[in-house]
Amino acid sequence: MSRRYRLGVDIGGTFTDGVLIDESNGTLQIDKVLTTPQDPSEGFLTITQRLAAEANLSLDQLHSIIHATTIATNAVLERRGARAGLLVTQGFRDILEIGRQIRHELYNLQTEKIPPLIPRQRCIEIPERMDHRGEVLLPLDEAAVAGALSTLRTQQVESIAICFLHAYRNPVHEQRAAELIQSLWPEATVSLSSEIAPEIREYWRASTTVTNAYVAPTVRTYLDKIEQKLSREGFDKSVYIMQSSGGIMTAAAAKERPIHMIESGPAAGVAAAAYLSELVGFPNALSFDMGGTTAKMGLIRDHQPNVLSEFEVGAHSGSGAGLVRGSGYPILASVVDLVEVGAGGGSLAWMDSGGLMRVGPQSAGAEPGPACCGQGGTKPTITDANLMLGRLNPDYFLGGRIQLDKEAAHTAINVHCAQALGMDVVEAASGIVDIATVTMVHAMRLVSVQRGYDPREFCLVSFGGAGPVHANQLAAELGIPTVVIPPSPGVASALGMLVSNLRHDYRVTRIHPLAEVELDELDTIWRDFTAQATDALMDEGLAEDKMLFNPYLDMRYIGQSWKLPISLPDDGLDATGVAWLKNAFDRQHEHLYGFSVPEEPVEIVNVGLSAIGLVRKPQLRDVPGASQPVAAARKCARQVYFAELKDFMECPVFDRHALQQGHVVEGPAVVEEMDSTTVIHPGYMASVARYGILILQQQ
Amino acid sequence: MSDFTNQDLDPIRLEVIRNRLNAAANEMAVALQRAAYSTNIKTRLDFSCAIFDSSVRVIAQSFSQPNHLGSLAHFVPQMIADYGLKRLQSGDGILSNDGHRGGVHLNDVCLVSPVFYKDTLVAFVAAIAHHVDVGGSTPGSLVGLSKEIYQEGLRIPPVRLLADGQLNDDIFGLIMNNLRSPKETAGDLRAQVASVNRGIRQLTEIIARYGRTTITQAVEEMLNHTERQVKEEIAKIPRGIYTAEGYMDNDGLTDEPIKICVKITVTDGKVIYDLHGSDSQRPCPINATYAMTLSNCAYTLRALMEADVLVNDGFYRAIEVIAPPGSIVNAHHPAAIGGGWETAFRVLETCFQAFASAIPERLTAGSKGCLCNIALGGESRRPGDFFVFYESMGGGYGARLAKDGIDAIQPHAQNTENSPVEEIEANYPFRIVRYELIPDSEGAGRFRGGLGLRRDYAFDHPVVFSVLADRAKFPPWGLADGLPARPAKYILNPDANPQEFPSKLSLELQTSDIFSIQMGGGGGYGPPWLRQPSHLLDDVLAEKISVERARDVYGVVIDSAHMIVDEDATRVLRENMCRQAESFERISDEP
Repeated sequence: MSRRYRLGVDIGGTFTDGVLIDESNGTLQIDKVLTTPQDPSEGFLTITQRLAAEANLSLDQLHSIIHATTIATNAVLERRGARAGLLVTQGFRDILEIGRQIRHELYNLQTEKIPPLIPRQRCIEIPERMDHRGEVLLPLDEAAVAGALSTLRTQQVESIAICFLHAYRNPVHEQRAAELIQSLWPEATVSLSSEIAPEIREYWRASTTVTNAYVAPTVRTYLDKIEQKLSREGFDKSVYIMQSSGGIMTAAAAKERPIHMIESGPAAGVAAAAYLSELVGFPNALSFDMGGTTAKMGLIRDHQPNVLSEFEVGAHSGSGAGLVRGSGYPILASVVDLVEVGAGGGSLAWMDSGGLMRVGPQSAGAEPGPACCGQGGTKPTITDANLMLGRLNPDYFLGGRIQLDKEAAHTAINVHCAQALGMDVVEAASGIVDIATVTMVHAMRLVSVQRGYDPREFCLVSFGGAGPVHANQLAAELGIPTVVIPPSPGVASALGMLVSNLRHDYRVTRIHPLAEVELDELDTIWRDFTAQATDALMDEGLAEDKMLFNPYLDMRYIGQSWKLPISLPDDGLDATGVAWLKNAFDRQHEHLYGFSVPEEPVEIVNVGLSAIGLVRKPQLRDVPGASQPVAAARKCARQVYFAELKDFMECPVFDRHALQQGHVVEGPAVVEEMDSTTVIHPGYMASVARYGILILQQQ
Repeated sequence: MSDFTNQDLDPIRLEVIRNRLNAAANEMAVALQRAAYSTNIKTRLDFSCAIFDSSVRVIAQSFSQPNHLGSLAHFVPQMIADYGLKRLQSGDGILSNDGHRGGVHLNDVCLVSPVFYKDTLVAFVAAIAHHVDVGGSTPGSLVGLSKEIYQEGLRIPPVRLLADGQLNDDIFGLIMNNLRSPKETAGDLRAQVASVNRGIRQLTEIIARYGRTTITQAVEEMLNHTERQVKEEIAKIPRGIYTAEGYMDNDGLTDEPIKICVKITVTDGKVIYDLHGSDSQRPCPINATYAMTLSNCAYTLRALMEADVLVNDGFYRAIEVIAPPGSIVNAHHPAAIGGGWETAFRVLETCFQAFASAIPERLTAGSKGCLCNIALGGESRRPGDFFVFYESMGGGYGARLAKDGIDAIQPHAQNTENSPVEEIEANYPFRIVRYELIPDSEGAGRFRGGLGLRRDYAFDHPVVFSVLADRAKFPPWGLADGLPARPAKYILNPDANPQEFPSKLSLELQTSDIFSIQMGGGGGYGPPWLRQPSHLLDDVLAEKISVERARDVYGVVIDSAHMIVDEDATRVLRENMCRQAESFERISDEP
């Protein structure tokens, strides 16, 4: 039997999305069911069976299933993780309670600190101490470890984290304590800071290790259940889990290190954007994923999503762009660089006390929803504004599944905004879009300009139900010359699961002045990482010629408190390697921060390796070449408002499903499809490329 | 590109421009933080950026330290006036740190650049950052026993550090030659340059996009908009005159406490802070400059606002701070000012005490109550090299009407992160041997204050260890019958041969010594005998409050064998406490 199907399942807060591809012809099938929060594996199985039935296949015809899930994140957000305990160095019991000692809200006298995942009574001090060179100042008190275990046992702890000072440099005390736990209490789950995140900065490392310990039992139970259910249905291959880094790993690896699946969902969108931009020949892209509550911006360079080395889970989103620093639990793990802003279709427009109109970050969500959706919402949202401006078709929202009520949108905008502004409803609606756009422009600048990249050198890949409505305007504001809009934008992010490579990240702190670095010592570390990665990838069924290894060093000027990753040259380091690294660091520093200090010495902080296992990319199904004039795809025409003209214009409306490769649609125009609407502004044109991808450019 | 621009100003365009300007200030801050060298700026975020219009009014500000609220707003106009508006050219960058010319303490170094558009001066961009050392008699510059500003480091009047966008190497070299940590300072200064350059580019783009006239109109409207919001918020505070007095332990030179007097007048759309009656300036480093006092008074008003009011000139219009010249809250040349933020912090909390007579339900009880500046210096691990280390420590946050105070946190105007112990030990020749909450240090109350924080230092080499802090004599106050918290303690060799020191000290310590800094807790809110027994049980289980203290102070009896509340014993004990409190009230009510 040929295994020619690949399935992706993304479980979000409201919907569980499934995407199935027939690799023999690139046919994509997409469906969604309501998420089953009590037991998400139910929804998982339902969508799997439903897609299989639609494609008329049995599960043993699938060669892999890729899964993006918020199970780990939700365990943290809803505080439903394991009863965990923490062993720490004597004198440092309150490492979690103290945290960073900062408030995330400067002027709120009612502010709170985020409560630790492990309460103080389950944080136990162990006499032991290393110095920063990893030399033992005080040997491990093994009796104290045994005593701590019995205390934790009486408190019904099921998962134990260990974080000793300087364990990134010398893990022996942590390892010995783990051995003791193994022998005394074999069924306990143990997470060691020296394995989960062997990096300097004790609170960050402890927070990462504790979060791992906190979610591990939940994740294990969940993945076991999914594997059992699938195996009963005849699926005997691997389930892969989407990682925060945008790569995938096997479920077995995820059970060991669930910390890497914390931001599993959002990464898929950027992975999809990387794939789509590559399909149409752009190595550099900005991804713009606008859904119902937020817009997410990411950056792709040389086909690779920009990846950061730490983030916070459970952080609040602020009124500006991005998350509020210090409001979540810090995690030392690779994560796709995303900036999220409260500007989605459901984001509310409101008047502030000083009489200015604001948009977001509050959202009407799915309930009560935008006023025009008739689900009980009465307040104006971005979707209501788009409807008033003629950008959305009231009779063809979600393919006509929801009838939009223009009257309700009019009333909402009029009552809540236009009257207060002394404007007519259309002007106010246009204002709502303008204000949302400026928020999105700022977020996009944060992921590009602030990272040292000029958005004008990128294309904009736009998806999510609302993305294509706003993409042209956003690109114009940022001077981005090209907009790429995939078919079925509403579900395009799920495609990311089907095209992601296997990935494993390794990193350990070794602080040395670069000039005094022993390349042999570094080589040993890289060799060890490479061996670990090779084993892991081989276990995941990958041939060695499909493995890529990217060794790198985190470096900084001596005295600096941050670090920059510098990749090694392709042919490795030779005797001139140190000079090469110094030079590469200076250049990168100049690029990112606008200056470098070549005369200043540099030190290395971390030694790292990212290992990629190349997964065969499925081919999307192509659309036919143009056999008919574009006019054949024209459905009708309607009045659409364009802010740059301050007026409505009669626009032809095209059916995306009827467009053929090679067609060119001149703006102003609207292209409608089941799950999204693309607005093409005057002066722009859209051409239909391979796979039905729309490319918008200036005329 | 199609033309989305339009020259008219309407409410929509106004909101768009307002967002763009704030985003520009935010981008300046991100640029500064990303490029900075020192922990103090990079992770503790001790800096701030702002954009001013051509009349040097603040139009957008981005900051993470409320302490900087007024620093830039007050300092930058004076820097421009001192340097001479007419001398400014495109590409200039003016640098100053002089607290007696409008600034704060010498460590906060400010860089200002004019923004020209088509040869016309249209705006200013500024970045202020706390540098770890600016010379002077003590490592870290601000902590020590200076009597006048000359001992505190290099005083930089407004000088042209950047000409044509290029660093003036002579001035740069002169500055670096006077500091203990020139590498970090050079890196941080370059980050400030990167930040103002980002600001200039952004503003130029914004003005090119919307046109000068539109921007000028928009700025005027923006400031008026903020002023309207502020007035609405002030209207929520009952009009009246509110007074309070606060005390600092001492000045470091003598043991004489320092008095702070606050009289707050809330009128229609304006709040006036009058500090007459506060002590005169002293020959010690805790004198506050006017900018420091203004900043911390401004914090108290901003913290009472609910809406996300922007801090721009429209906000400052609603505040008037009257601080008598030559006093401890508006010191004049040549007063030492390195530790002036301690005094400003006391002004801040005294203002809250004054407001508490009108709106206790919106306030917090006393917090740990001081900044707690800690500086260490000595020979580094590399022979012949000198190191300087500076940090400040969190403590308890005051309890609120319906919420406990927060344990171990930076309160109010202060919001700097702690330095990771591992980073410290990897970089400096000393160790942290304990870093923990202090049990039983909270101010008791129906809602309790936060716990204080303890950090013990041990040394690989002899060091000069300096502390400029407060709150060892006057504990953090309780509110609405809540009790005060344990005050701060500064203890040499706490376990072997404890010796307590006052809150301002500078000692030469040896490798056998351990110095323990113990920050106070936060005050309680409401009578302790009204605290929910289940909350106390949680505190006892977490070993944050002892069984004895639960019984003696809160009247909650905990059966420590079973770790449950003894309801009956608790009821009896609490009824007693309640009766005693009532009879006490009767006695004190008698004329």
